Amino acid sequence: MAEPYLVVEHLTKVYERGHVVALKDLSFEVQKGEFLVIIGLSGSGKSTLLRCINRLIEPTKGRIFIDGVEITKLSPRQMRKFRRKIGMIFQHFNLIKRATVMTNVLTGRLGYIPTWKTLFGIFPRNDRELALRNLERVGLLEKAYVRADELSGGQQQRVGIARALMQQPELLLADEPVSALDPATSHSVMQYIEQMNQEDGVTVLASLHFLSLARRYGTRIIALKDGELVFDGAPEEIDDQKFKEIYGEEAEEVEIR
Amino acid sequence: MPPKYPETYLREKPSWMAWERIADFLYFGFKTLGKRLSIALLDVGGIAILWILTSYVIIRLSTGEIGYALVPWWTFGIGVVEIAALWESFGRSFGHRVARLELRRGDGGDPALHQRFVHWLLWHVSVLPLVGLLPTPPLHERASGLALRPFTMEGRTPKPWWRTSTGLYVAWLLGISVVAAVSVTISWEDLVRLFTNAGSTAKFWRSFFSPDTSIIVKTVRALVVTVFMAMTATAFAVMVAVPLSFFAARNLMRGLIGRSIYTVIRVAMSIIRSIEPVVWAIFFLVWVRVELAPFAGVLALFVHSVSDLTKLYAERLESIDPGLIEAIAATGANRLQVLRYAVIPQIVNPYISFTLYRWDINIRMATVVGVVGGGGIGQDLFFYLKGNLWTQAGTVMLFIIALVWAIDYFSARLRAKLA
Amino acid sequence: MNESPPKKNHRATRIRRRLLALFIDWLTWGYVAYGVMYFLNDYWWRIPLERFYTTLTLPPWGWPAAVLGTLAMAMICQVTGYSLGERALKLEMKEERPLNKEELLMGRAMGKPFWRTQWGVMAVFLLALTVALGWHIVKIDIEALLRPSRRAREMLGEIFPPDFRYFFASDPAFELRGLPYSILDLMMVTIFMALLATVLGAAVALPLSFFGARNIMGFSPAGWFVYGIVRGFFNVFRSIETMLWAVVFAIWIRWGSPLAGIMALTIHTVAALGKLYSEQVEGIDPGPVEAVVAAGGDRLEVIRYAVLPQVVPSFWAFTLYRWDINVRMSTVIALVGGGGIGDMLFYYKNEGQWALLGAVVATIVAVVWAMDYLSGRLRERIT
Repeated sequence: MAEPYLVVEHLTKVYERGHVVALKDLSFEVQKGEFLVIIGLSGSGKSTLLRCINRLIEPTKGRIFIDGVEITKLSPRQMRKFRRKIGMIFQHFNLIKRATVMTNVLTGRLGYIPTWKTLFGIFPRNDRELALRNLERVGLLEKAYVRADELSGGQQQRVGIARALMQQPELLLADEPVSALDPATSHSVMQYIEQMNQEDGVTVLASLHFLSLARRYGTRIIALKDGELVFDGAPEEIDDQKFKEIYGEEAEEVEIR
Repeated sequence: MPPKYPETYLREKPSWMAWERIADFLYFGFKTLGKRLSIALLDVGGIAILWILTSYVIIRLSTGEIGYALVPWWTFGIGVVEIAALWESFGRSFGHRVARLELRRGDGGDPALHQRFVHWLLWHVSVLPLVGLLPTPPLHERASGLALRPFTMEGRTPKPWWRTSTGLYVAWLLGISVVAAVSVTISWEDLVRLFTNAGSTAKFWRSFFSPDTSIIVKTVRALVVTVFMAMTATAFAVMVAVPLSFFAARNLMRGLIGRSIYTVIRVAMSIIRSIEPVVWAIFFLVWVRVELAPFAGVLALFVHSVSDLTKLYAERLESIDPGLIEAIAATGANRLQVLRYAVIPQIVNPYISFTLYRWDINIRMATVVGVVGGGGIGQDLFFYLKGNLWTQAGTVMLFIIALVWAIDYFSARLRAKLA
Repeated sequence: MNESPPKKNHRATRIRRRLLALFIDWLTWGYVAYGVMYFLNDYWWRIPLERFYTTLTLPPWGWPAAVLGTLAMAMICQVTGYSLGERALKLEMKEERPLNKEELLMGRAMGKPFWRTQWGVMAVFLLALTVALGWHIVKIDIEALLRPSRRAREMLGEIFPPDFRYFFASDPAFELRGLPYSILDLMMVTIFMALLATVLGAAVALPLSFFGARNIMGFSPAGWFVYGIVRGFFNVFRSIETMLWAVVFAIWIRWGSPLAGIMALTIHTVAALGKLYSEQVEGIDPGPVEAVVAAGGDRLEVIRYAVLPQVVPSFWAFTLYRWDINVRMSTVIALVGGGGIGDMLFYYKNEGQWALLGAVVATIVAVVWAMDYLSGRLRERIT
């Protein structure tokens, strides 16, 4: 087997001086090009895990390697540089609401452009072209100069995807990308993420609420419960028994189509 | 999968001598101390205020003089502390109520009488010298087997307010305050005049309908000065307050140095804000020469506006959406870029809106500042009032009302648009 | 998601907005003319600015010329570019075209930077003019600020440390209506003034606010009428400052009577709180109202069970906020005859007793600060 792309070793995150444990000694590996889905109840540590991987949250203990680089050892400045390779999309989109879609997409390039230029809102011509190409790719070219808060939820999330595409990432972290969307829109957004995974070879780590979505899009699933890893395997391995283990006795599986 | 985690964590974290342990003790110790202390202070302070007010009313109503003490100060001190201790041990005190806590047995049951008694006795040993509050749980709670638990209504029926101690306390406090307030501020003669002497203001109202036209030009000129006083003060205040607000926002100032800067600025601003612009105007009228009247008024408004705007701006900064900051930081942006693309877009409109609001206030204040000699229309008004020139005073007031109304209207319209 | 105006009045609305834009431009040019005249006076002929309006006399044809000239300038601006008035009302000049990808790439659709548009230039110019005018009108004098007068140095020398001699004991030289007062006594009076004004004001504003709420009053003519009266009362009385009310009541009752201050604060409190309350009532969630109506409730029951529970926390918050303001105001309302600690403040100021004044100010700061903190904490707790 090839050298894994992402390695997480004994990752632990505690809050409140050790009294709230969000992640407990988590270890797993991800191969390049995988579509890894993280499932689990709310508060099981999915968001914390994703944010530890690009160190938006500092892990308390443990090591993380991406592409052979131990990112837990990087200085803040080096980490900022490194984050350019890691795209991220969010549950609530996190767009600049009052700015145009174009500006939002261009912020994906901030790590590549000298600071003084970006402070005045100056972006190079080829970045603007790239932004338009990416907007075309997510089907929003027409909306390029529309204010972001005038778009619907699904469209806003596609802007988020375009922003992540601007980074030309090797790794995409998706934090419940479809939880705030209705079922029909969810699939269109997930398909764009799948497209990134299959066509650009981007490794994807996505946390999802619905098992049916996880089964449909994931190549591998890990499940968290109270910050611990309780399942790691192929999507079809999750049967009724496993499901109850992850979500608790009373849970029923809901289909989303 | 590894359920072994918590044990390993505890094994690796060593025993008493480790720094973490001591830090933990202090951290959680100060947390319990802070909570218990603020509850005790609330109770002791609340009872002290009630006691003083009650004495005040008794003295006032019986002798007609102003006084605060019916008993020697040491009786007062011991009484207040004792009542607070009893209240906290044998009931659900005001402080408990505010903190949404209640005293329960360790297993969650109702406290027994002897436990409450022990709690009350040891309260003196543990709360009064303060150090007793450092261990978790504090001494008096550990010994009595009681603990402060979050209050819940689950499985209980509510009592009407007049059967709870806090309800009675608040009712008594409010009642006695109103009695005290009425007795000290309102005299019978004043009240009689309020209902019989309304005619004395007629000279005023009359001038509203027949204003003195000869002073219109002069008044308009003074109005222009007033508007510009407000505008200049606001403009300069914005220039100072915008950068200051970033240092006064808790979420942007992290670490020891950051927090100390934050605290210094916040405290200074709230002190400055507590002094009305009129008082600042008195100060600045002495500071600069009296001929520069509008300038002194501007300085007074400026100082007050800076403190007010800094507070408003900083509060707005503290409530920005952290999600956008996360998103921009995740693209590999540095701090300045995060500021430019995640923070500033969220605050521009609220800042403009606050500035307009402050300008509106400054116009009102500018008329008042003029009364002490700060220039503008207020100065004219005061001059006429001093000279018993009622017609002219009424005319000036008419202009002030019109100006304030117009500015208020436009600034409200603009702010509604910005929101 | 902007709602487009109804098609029926589309044309009328457009004409009205166009005229409004013209009016705004006219006003801006009028302002420019005023500024120019001001500086002409000040610099060209070296006439002292106190005598402005009286010395600069326009010839008989001057006023019409000024009025028409500014109007002409406004019209020229509207025709030649995207003027300030048009920008303020967001009137679009160009008709819409289908999107062109090449143009998008060239960045043309992004529009010119604001400093290269007409409205941008005008706005910057107006800002500069205002700063220049303001600088002269309020006689800004940085030198005077940096070099305090001898009296100021005296004051600074005396004010630190403040003299708290008369905090508990009363000052024999100072008395009101034959009664001696200490700082503490007057501070109590001040706090009580604010308390009474807030309680009274809130008690009056609470029932009134329901009459000033659109959704409660319904849309019948009688409803409109009452709504209009109440809202009008709130607006007019709110725009009259507390200080002006204090003047009126000082004449009415007696100069320096705390009751005058209380009445002034109360009236302003009623108007200000009434407006805040009724806006809050208008902003409630209509769901519970529907539920109570569906269960057969009448209007009073709707208010009691659907409206009040929703607005009570914010009513408390507004009242506490107002209490805070009233404490601040009551410290200085004595200036215009309203009574309270201000009497002592201005007495010491007139006597030049800076050390004693310092003690009064320090007490005011402590009390206002404490009230501010308390009301802030309570408001946090409530909402």
